[in-house]
Amino acid sequence: MTNTLHRQGKAENLKKDYVVFMTTAAGINREGSAPEIQEFMRICHKYHPINMGNVKVGNIYQDGVEVEEFIAKLGEGAGSTAVFTDLDTVQKVVEELIQADLGISINISGLLDEVQDCCRKAGITRHSAEHSLGFWGAKERLPERETLEINTLCGHGMVSFNLIRKMIEYVKLRRLTPKKAARILAKCCECGVFNPERAEKLLEKIKKGDVTPSGKSVEE
Amino acid sequence: MEIDKEKCVGCGNCHAVCTMGAISLDEDGKSVVNQDQCVECSVCYRFLKDERYWPWMVRAIRRVLSVFRLGYLADVDVCPTGALTPPVLEWPRSLRGMFSDPTIVHPGTGIYGRGTEEIKSNDVTGRLRKGEAGLVVEMGRPGIGAFLWDIEKVAIALARLNADFETKNPVTQLMADTRTGKIKDEVLNEKVLSAIIEIKVKLEKIPDFLQALAKVQKEVDTVISVGVASRCLPDGSIPHEEWVRKAGYTLSLNGKTNLGLGRPLFKETEA
Repeated sequence: MTNTLHRQGKAENLKKDYVVFMTTAAGINREGSAPEIQEFMRICHKYHPINMGNVKVGNIYQDGVEVEEFIAKLGEGAGSTAVFTDLDTVQKVVEELIQADLGISINISGLLDEVQDCCRKAGITRHSAEHSLGFWGAKERLPERETLEINTLCGHGMVSFNLIRKMIEYVKLRRLTPKKAARILAKCCECGVFNPERAEKLLEKIKKGDVTPSGKSVEE
Repeated sequence: MEIDKEKCVGCGNCHAVCTMGAISLDEDGKSVVNQDQCVECSVCYRFLKDERYWPWMVRAIRRVLSVFRLGYLADVDVCPTGALTPPVLEWPRSLRGMFSDPTIVHPGTGIYGRGTEEIKSNDVTGRLRKGEAGLVVEMGRPGIGAFLWDIEKVAIALARLNADFETKNPVTQLMADTRTGKIKDEVLNEKVLSAIIEIKVKLEKIPDFLQALAKVQKEVDTVISVGVASRCLPDGSIPHEEWVRKAGYTLSLNGKTNLGLGRPLFKETEA
């Protein structure tokens, strides 16, 4: 699965975007893994992630979700995720996960060098790593950059280009605040890897006119 | 997805939510799904809350408002009358949902969505070992979707280099012959939100495969997200980096890291 691999953005944006997730393997450690999955989520929740989710149960931005109840519903099987916005917090989460020794595979999506530093500080050597080599093929069919940046925050592609454009329009017309619009977008992403804070900041920038219609930042 | 015309009031909320832009307003003022383009991701059904209003009531209110040249702007995340209706899908259309709806467990992999565990559980499965790299070629992503006929073109191009297709991968399972990359004819006209061709290669073969991919990308009418993975060396360095650079490609700053906390840890000597 490559859900969180192709997140777009500059290093300064990616520095505020880390997805910590666990994966069980069938026939090895998946069976009976519900307590470990729940513990993983409890540890993550302690450090106030900006989003949490599980493809089976949904994400915390969906209507009527209580986090404790949400964690209690997690069963064996599907991977679970939590999104953080700074490396110091990720460091603490990793150290607590090492202490907890849950025995399930833990991955982090984010700036590779920073995650590597995080591993070193925690006294572990990373096991495997994956890079994106970008977008190929009919790239002329891709939308403007800010739409793409928000779209790739959901690896399953559940946040449509058109909904993002609609939210941009609503924010510009002040029908929605950037925060509310970002939370609406986050609802679409079933497994909870969407970073609503990044989306909100981008929408805020668009609202202020700091991003031109061509998708290029005025600062460039 | 289908829309119940008896219930639809033509508010248009589902149009923007559709990942493929496959919903539009019909001549009767009610929404309709282009079934050829719909990938059965069901995001419209899950995202839009059913407000359970009576259609006649919504229509009546709108008519009254229109007399005064006023409109009613519904919240963006609702379907006022619950008109979206997920159909029971028959084969081969059912594969659209298997690849496009992350809440469906793929029968071939036993996990949710269109992918496999790939490097995410490499610490316990040993799927990618010393000297190997995983190449993940995701067709249709981001946001464009892909027909199986385009996916087949890429699979055939990679198969010419004796690609070792991952057997648990859903695309591999659709192949009539993994030696040629040919996909079963019965599914070629199906469209999915995205599908991942997953192969294992020797590190030194990475440039050859990227070259083949660079050539075939011009023949497809969709986008492709490409990723490469490998098992780290004992000092934590990433062996595929050197080979990707030799091939002339730029690696992303961000990526995925498996921390190696899974147990029991896979040991290559035991294999």
